[in-house]
Amino acid sequence: MIATISANPTHATPPTKLGRKVRFRIKRCEGPGKPSTWNTYTVTIDQKGANVISCLQQIAANPVTVEGTRTTPVVWDSGCLEEVCGACTMVINGKVRQSCSALIDHLAPNEGDEISLEPMSKFPVIRDLSVDRQRMFHNLARLKAWVPIDGTYALGGGPKESPEAQETRYALSTCMTCGCCLEACPQFNLETDASKWDSSFVGAQAISQARLFNMHETGKELAPARLDALMGPGGVSDCGNSQNCVKVCPKHIPLTESIAAVGRAVTLHAITKFFRG
Amino acid sequence: MATKHTDFPNHFLLRRLHSLTGVVPTGIFLITHLLTNSSVAWGNLDSRAKEYGHPGVATFQHEVNFIHSIPYLLIVEVFGLWLPIAFHSILGFYYALSGKSNVSAYAYQDNWRYTLQRISGYLGILFIFYHIATLRWGWTFLIPGGTQWDHNYAASTLAMALQGGGDGMTAAGLAVSAFYFIGVSLLVFHFANGLWTAAITWGITISVPAQKRWGVMCAGLGVALMAMAWASVIGYARLDVTAARQTEQRMLDGKSKPASSADNPAQTSSALPAR
Ligand code: HEM
Ligand code: SF4
Ligand code: SF4
Ligand code: FES
Repeated sequence: MIATISANPTHATPPTKLGRKVRFRIKRCEGPGKPSTWNTYTVTIDQKGANVISCLQQIAANPVTVEGTRTTPVVWDSGCLEEVCGACTMVINGKVRQSCSALIDHLAPNEGDEISLEPMSKFPVIRDLSVDRQRMFHNLARLKAWVPIDGTYALGGGPKESPEAQETRYALSTCMTCGCCLEACPQFNLETDASKWDSSFVGAQAISQARLFNMHETGKELAPARLDALMGPGGVSDCGNSQNCVKVCPKHIPLTESIAAVGRAVTLHAITKFFRG
Repeated sequence: MATKHTDFPNHFLLRRLHSLTGVVPTGIFLITHLLTNSSVAWGNLDSRAKEYGHPGVATFQHEVNFIHSIPYLLIVEVFGLWLPIAFHSILGFYYALSGKSNVSAYAYQDNWRYTLQRISGYLGILFIFYHIATLRWGWTFLIPGGTQWDHNYAASTLAMALQGGGDGMTAAGLAVSAFYFIGVSLLVFHFANGLWTAAITWGITISVPAQKRWGVMCAGLGVALMAMAWASVIGYARLDVTAARQTEQRMLDGKSKPASSADNPAQTSSALPAR
């Protein structure tokens, strides 16, 4: 389990105090447009490597608050449980991150420590901690973040690629569409009206993916169309350079370099278009 | 799906013009403006300026005379300065409203600068407006003491505007001086940080090390400009108005300072403008 991953000695896991009680303050919401309330639950830590998801499972099994009220089970989203799918992203103690890799021994090492859980604020809440991340996929489509091959004929061997480009693209390709970079971005706001998504800020995730596919030897074909979209309302120039995105990205994707690289690409694209039409 | 980009005014063009007008002419003007203003301090280094009395005052007066020798000054000002600054400020205000600062949750240094960039923009508008309206357009009712800035008496009337009159610092003058101090400090930060972000916006600095290196250079420029800004505000807030006026009068009359005479406030106090 991820609990054993602790390569960085400064982040060494404190010893587990089995049997300690940890409080979870959870922001609840019954459905889209419904008001939010907070419930607090107590969870007994009875295994090593407990994480936020394993505690949410315990709460689901017995959803009784500290006041003794029985509530509906808390809803959350998860998939891989090893920080590669991004589904379990939520705001933990005020900061966005994956809940499956959020270890209780780090967050609440002692008896009575409290952890707060909230859904991401930049996406519409489906219920409790589960949000609708549809807009991120919409934005990938908006920027044509794919390689244009239709599979009707054999393309032969792929083009050659330099190791440097490959290294850069590998880093970019690890994006798991989790939404951390958008949650922390001061320029990316909640937009529940999907008809406005095409003109609202796309955010670092999609900008970085556009760079990834612009660097791809076959994907390059769509680069002008991607850059056109990135020049429009909500494109790359709506970034305000706060650089929060790169600091919260769990995959350490060089998002601010992607933003600058795309900034250069649109600058050149605009000049080319001006003189060539 | 794909957005239409035939929209006018073109989104990208406006964004890039906003960035550009922050650097040229606004930023370049800020540098020259602070260089000119701080001559009240560095002018003391210029021994030639001593012949009229206060060398800082004389150097500043010399600089102002040069500016006022520019032909079609008003046209240069309107199209080279006021319109670009207004363009950058109005768009900047609108752009700043589109973001929502979150430093409380994400207290990173870069994020603080993002937030300060917006705060300094908001307050910068106020300061620039007050500054131009009172000193350039002569809205003297906004100046404690009601001083009319006069380009022939550049340093002394500026000092009076900052001090709340010609009889030393008043409480209202202190408020004006403090407002100047905060206003110029914020704008210097805004420009230095803006130069750093502009290099990302245009794609000049891409890699993290390149952004760091350029950041160090912008910080260096920021520190130098801040020193000039503070030297200016403090210099005028503490300037002896009467002595400054004597120096300016001599320059206006084309007379050097008599070798023997010490500047005597009593001698020329009658030359002070009516307040
Ligand atoms: C002395 C006056 C000013 C100077 C020299 C100046 C300079 C700059 C520069 C160089 C930038 C960087 C552009 C970029 O990142 O591409 C900038 C950005 C900005 N300025 Fe100004 N500026 C001034 C006044 C103002 C005022 C009065 C406002 C009013 C709110 C303002 C609002 C902004 C905003 C919001 C940004 C960030 C834009 C973005 O990142 O999208 N500025 N400024
Ligand atoms: S650098 Fe740009 S995209 Fe990244 S968090 Fe800041 S404003 Fe958002
Ligand atoms: S760029 Fe990083 S933070 Fe943003 S969605 Fe992808 S993996 Fe998540
Ligand atoms: S469940 Fe997949 S990242 Fe947490």
